[in-house]
Amino acid sequence: MGQTSAPEEGTDVSARYYDGRTSGATAVRLSFGCRGLVTLTGAAQSANYKLEDLDISTRIGNTPRLIGFPDGGKCEVNDNDTIDRLLKNQATNRGGWLHTLESHYLFVTVAILVTLATSTMTFKYGLPWLAERSAHALPQSVDRSLGKGTLDILDRSLFSPTTLDLAIQARLGRRFAEMITTLPAGRDYRLLFRAGNSIGANAFALPSGTIVMTDELVAASENDDELVAILAHEIGHLEHRHSIRMAMQSSAAALIIAAVSGDVVSSSSLLVALPTVLIHSSYSQEFESEADDYAWHYLVDNDIPTGSFASILSRIAEDKRDSVVSQYLSSHPGTRVRIQRFIE
Amino acid sequence: METTMNPSPQTLPFKFHGKSGEYFRIWIVNVVLSILTLGIYSAWAKVRNKRYFYSNTELDGSTFEYLANPIAILKGRLLALGVFAVYSVTVWFIPLSEPVFVLAFIAGLPWLIVRAMTFNARNSAFRNIRFDFNSNYLEAAKVFIGIPLLVMLTFGLAYPYFAYRYRDFLINNSGFGTTGFDFDAQAKHFYLIYLKAFGALLLLGLLVAVTLPALIPEVQSAGQFPNQEMPVQGPQLFLMMLPLLVVFPVYMLIGTYIHTATLNTAFNHAYTTGQRFSSKLKVGKMFWIYLSNFVAVLLSLGLLIPWAKIRIARYRLENLALHTEDDLDGVIAGEQQRVKATGEELAEVLDIDLGF
Repeated sequence: MGQTSAPEEGTDVSARYYDGRTSGATAVRLSFGCRGLVTLTGAAQSANYKLEDLDISTRIGNTPRLIGFPDGGKCEVNDNDTIDRLLKNQATNRGGWLHTLESHYLFVTVAILVTLATSTMTFKYGLPWLAERSAHALPQSVDRSLGKGTLDILDRSLFSPTTLDLAIQARLGRRFAEMITTLPAGRDYRLLFRAGNSIGANAFALPSGTIVMTDELVAASENDDELVAILAHEIGHLEHRHSIRMAMQSSAAALIIAAVSGDVVSSSSLLVALPTVLIHSSYSQEFESEADDYAWHYLVDNDIPTGSFASILSRIAEDKRDSVVSQYLSSHPGTRVRIQRFIE
Repeated sequence: METTMNPSPQTLPFKFHGKSGEYFRIWIVNVVLSILTLGIYSAWAKVRNKRYFYSNTELDGSTFEYLANPIAILKGRLLALGVFAVYSVTVWFIPLSEPVFVLAFIAGLPWLIVRAMTFNARNSAFRNIRFDFNSNYLEAAKVFIGIPLLVMLTFGLAYPYFAYRYRDFLINNSGFGTTGFDFDAQAKHFYLIYLKAFGALLLLGLLVAVTLPALIPEVQSAGQFPNQEMPVQGPQLFLMMLPLLVVFPVYMLIGTYIHTATLNTAFNHAYTTGQRFSSKLKVGKMFWIYLSNFVAVLLSLGLLIPWAKIRIARYRLENLALHTEDDLDGVIAGEQQRVKATGEELAEVLDIDLGF
């Protein structure tokens, strides 16, 4: 309390005094006497205060301290160490621990490590876990709303109608119908064919349950099992609800990055965008692995050689090697690694 | 410490004493305590952060003071979070209610802006005299609802006018003690900034359009589809990154020019009786600081954010000065009023940028 051991007698600091009524500044001296007596002496003024009545700002770095007096006046003092010494035994010295933490290199190191570890854990495990939980709590109908209109846009901009033989379409349609009989109800699974044009041999799943396969992919296949393997991979994306999970965890990641980066550059949106793209691509690799898992299990359970997936994957990879594509970061784990699993 | 007492015309430079090493330690402690308290400490962190920058800013031998109460900020943040939760839940169950929220948000925006500006000004002080901000809903609604409508109707042609009215609103309504600030820029100053920026954009765009196709033999487009396998090799990757490497600096350069010219114009036309600011920021230097900040922050996983913030604050303040015909002693304190932090914190959550 107030009756703590008295600070050193006769400590003097120079200060600037502001009366709080006008913006004038006067040079003064503050003397800290015994029993907490503080004397302010200026050219035209002199006043006595008690140390415990003063409102002394907490220390931040080496910035000047402001000492508020009960009469509304304030003093600005540069001599931080003297003020700290005076306050050492004072009960009113709250907030001083922050400066102590900030001055300890050991604590600062721990803080860096904790921050890096928590942010890594949050991005790597926390957000994906939360997104997965939330996806389970949401009805399937939400997924559908995500991909609404996507196919229309693609049909207008990229695709043209399929030129695939009707017999082949029917044959693959039957295989697909067989595949989805074992799936839980609630999604409207459909298989569509399109001429892929610039995107070449490809297949993708829309959140609505529609899977689009390009003519080029069908042409690249050597047997239907290969295409079934691809379809199983796409169904894996749908069953694991990757679209909605991606939407949730990517936007959460972007929000966090935006919140911490602040106004470091004039166009901070780019500072947010780049790391977000990187995180997005790492999430998407995880999802590919999950979809591969799904495909692998499907093939094994249905006595389809797992090599089917490996063979078509390596064939597509071979074809694409020479083309320049606008996808900067592949969303897939290394093809060789993926293929390896299915060969074993 | 010496006190300036001579009442003759003089130029008082702003000085900034912040050091990146020192600030880094304050910043990382703020971050880690915010993490450990699940965000609650962030209100205190915000105050400590602002206090560091304010008290390292010196004018005529005195430093600035940030006085906001963290509890007020915490309450504001919780309220903002509550509003956001109500919005999310309601829109989730009644999707048709979204337009109602949007309208309510637009209607509430002027109020938010006035509250945020007032809170910030009244919690800032220099020489024991607080700053002030005085405006009302109607005036703010004209600037933040009326003029943006005009901007939309003119397909953006009125945007420089908005930029002008926005700074006019900020500066004309601000004050220090009982002294109000005035703003004598005109809309034409802002039109000139955007005209120059537009011209530069056209020129640079033309340059890129001419040189780029020559470098890329085959431009293919492909969306980011889940099932694509794309092995990428070094030279190809470089070619693919080229648009990004060119477009980004151009975008940033134009952005920095507008930002810098706006800051200079805003300060150079702000004055009070007998006093006038001058800001002499250079576009090239600002561009270099922003570009290197960007690269450094990205490569350091954010750990160089404190260094980046100190650099930009130092450059901005060291190019700011106050020309005064008299000393700074004549300002009289105003009547102090407390303002809740609600406005500012709501504004922050809803991502309204209230800077110059």
